[in-house]
Amino acid sequence: MPNFPLTRRQALALSAPLLAALPAFKYAVGEAAAQELTPADAGLDPHDHTHAAHIGAEVPAPGGPNDLDDLLYPPAATPHEPGRLKEYDIIAVDKEIEIAPGVFFPAWTYNGTVPGPIIRATEDDLLRVNFTNGGSHPHTIHFHGIHPTNMDGVFEVVDVGESFTYEFPAKPWGCHLYHCHSTPLKKHIHKGLYGAFIIDPPEPRPPAQELVMVMNGFDTDADGGNNFYTVNGKSFYYAKYPIIVKRSEMVRVYLANLTEFDLINSFHLHADMFRFYRTGSTLDYEFTDTVMLCQGERGILEIEFEHTGIYMFHAHQSEFAELGWMGFFNVVE
Amino acid sequence: MESVPVTQPAPDEKPQRDVRWRIWALAPILLLVAAVSIFAATGSSLVDLVGTNPPPADELDIRRVEFKSGEIRVKVTNPQREDLTIASVAVDDAIVNFDVDGSRTLGRLGSSTVVIPFFWVEDDPYIVGITSSSGIETAVEIPAAVETEGVTGLGVLGYAIIGFLVGIVPVALGMAWLPSLRQLSGRWLAAFMALTAGLLVFLALDALDEALELQAGLPNAIGGVGLVLVGVATSYLTLSWIGTRFSARENQGRHSELNGVALAMLVAIGIGLHNLAEGLAIGSSFALGELALGSFLIVGFMVHNITEGLGIAVPIAEGKARPGLGRLAALVLVAGVPTILGAWIGGFITSEVLGTLFFAIAVGAALQVVVEVGKYVTRRAPGGLSSGHVVGGFLAGILIMYLTGLLIG
Repeated sequence: MPNFPLTRRQALALSAPLLAALPAFKYAVGEAAAQELTPADAGLDPHDHTHAAHIGAEVPAPGGPNDLDDLLYPPAATPHEPGRLKEYDIIAVDKEIEIAPGVFFPAWTYNGTVPGPIIRATEDDLLRVNFTNGGSHPHTIHFHGIHPTNMDGVFEVVDVGESFTYEFPAKPWGCHLYHCHSTPLKKHIHKGLYGAFIIDPPEPRPPAQELVMVMNGFDTDADGGNNFYTVNGKSFYYAKYPIIVKRSEMVRVYLANLTEFDLINSFHLHADMFRFYRTGSTLDYEFTDTVMLCQGERGILEIEFEHTGIYMFHAHQSEFAELGWMGFFNVVE
Repeated sequence: MESVPVTQPAPDEKPQRDVRWRIWALAPILLLVAAVSIFAATGSSLVDLVGTNPPPADELDIRRVEFKSGEIRVKVTNPQREDLTIASVAVDDAIVNFDVDGSRTLGRLGSSTVVIPFFWVEDDPYIVGITSSSGIETAVEIPAAVETEGVTGLGVLGYAIIGFLVGIVPVALGMAWLPSLRQLSGRWLAAFMALTAGLLVFLALDALDEALELQAGLPNAIGGVGLVLVGVATSYLTLSWIGTRFSARENQGRHSELNGVALAMLVAIGIGLHNLAEGLAIGSSFALGELALGSFLIVGFMVHNITEGLGIAVPIAEGKARPGLGRLAALVLVAGVPTILGAWIGGFITSEVLGTLFFAIAVGAALQVVVEVGKYVTRRAPGGLSSGHVVGGFLAGILIMYLTGLLIG
């Protein structure tokens, strides 16, 4: 990171205030990301209808700029403070969501979005999740990670209108996820009850532009196969609104796969490579541009873009890519 | 005498009563309107008493897929009561950009054309899927993409030649058996009359099968066996009426069975209506890339249809009249030209509703002619309907159609 103004040691020492500043940074980045890219920006002919040109206003993606900011930008990491309480309120609600332009899916959601809210804690925080079932079927929250089995979201099924509080020390550090574990499991997952769950290590990770991407699919005609694929719930969203990142700073992506029906999903980055920390719970990584994840698998990607410009990313199952799981980074100075 | 009002039977009382009873006849209709209005106002609460309605299927009806240079055009119709909105379009499971020529939201039986800019590959199969706003996808498979021709001079000529080859030529050739048929004895003529009936029964069953198959693919709002029945009954009864007119003219008002040229004309009309449907099937199958119209198939249709000419010739040979070449040519045209018309309609319009109706009409026409021929044979054939020649001829007619039909299967 030659352009980063601080040494790694300084960065670590100053991590607390820096991390505190992250929400402001997130806000700034969020505003910037709101810009819709035109095909001309990407050096493309706007009248070319082939798939590579699916960028900016031409893209059949639903929603407006910044709609997915809360699902893309995680809350800031907090310094290690064992025993500190991290509290989240989650309510399950049935909600019709627009997953492709004009296509509405009767989803089961946590807090009204698919995926649900990002839950973030630092290792040794006491995580408390107040769960209320405002939906029409019994639900639970099953967290991945280490916790007592009576907090596993399997046996304490929360009936409609009832509540349950999940409480356990957050560990181990890594990139995790949560989802409903009511039966029929397939139904409760593909309807949208899942989200990303980040546990930060006691020693903070180097500062980075942090993003969360939950890969999923939507079976809109209930035939046991997905009709649309997305990251964070809206097909082609990041092709219409490319994610703006700075070339000079590390980009860290918390990536989780919650695609139902299909055996695997994948992430492929064009024109650059990244370090991939599988599950994010160790410092071991592989250096690659394509990773494959089964349902429930997740990991952390760290990228330092070498150039500015438009970088495509998508599932390397061409079918998924062409059914909505495709987007762009717009790397700027 | 005091003018005491006396109830006198007024001379116009009967017409008055007629008017009153006519008004009374409207009462059930008015009451029905009232009942329907009341139900419409409270209908949903009535349904609530017994359950809930299932959700609408939200499936579009894809009527026609056209491949043009650099684009695919898909004509869609909303077959259900509830509105449908076209939300997303995919070609081979890949979402594509599209425009809608017409409204995106379609009311009941409303149509629009989805225009997809797409560089398709000739002869490749494609699956085009149109997804409505509730996420239900209606997909249609195109076995092989071929450029859909618009109405061009060459196209019109091409379908005309195809229709000429499979419709007019074989009928004319079959009619050329007329001099030979004239040499036959009554017994053998009866056998050939029965053969005509046999081949018409075959055509009727064949057309019925097509009509039922086509109607099954239609949306419920349009399709159903009712549509087939409408076609069959209309054509049967219309031909019966025409037949009665013919025989009345021939027999100076006496109702009698048809014979000679009049019966031949009826046979020609029946076969012509069948050929209209056949032409439509050939034209639309070819236009939609479902049929490879090779020379073998055309030869097959020619062999298959030559028996139709024979069927028209037999009643003439049986009759006493010796029609001139002009009348014989007219018979050929009545039976053969509809093939060309059908090929044009099928090739340039392609409507499954029309296809269903045309085949149903062909069924009714063929059956009516079978009845006419049957009446004729009953009266004229030595030995009647159950003679060996008649039974043999009938079965031979079916068998010939079956065997020559294998050529076009």
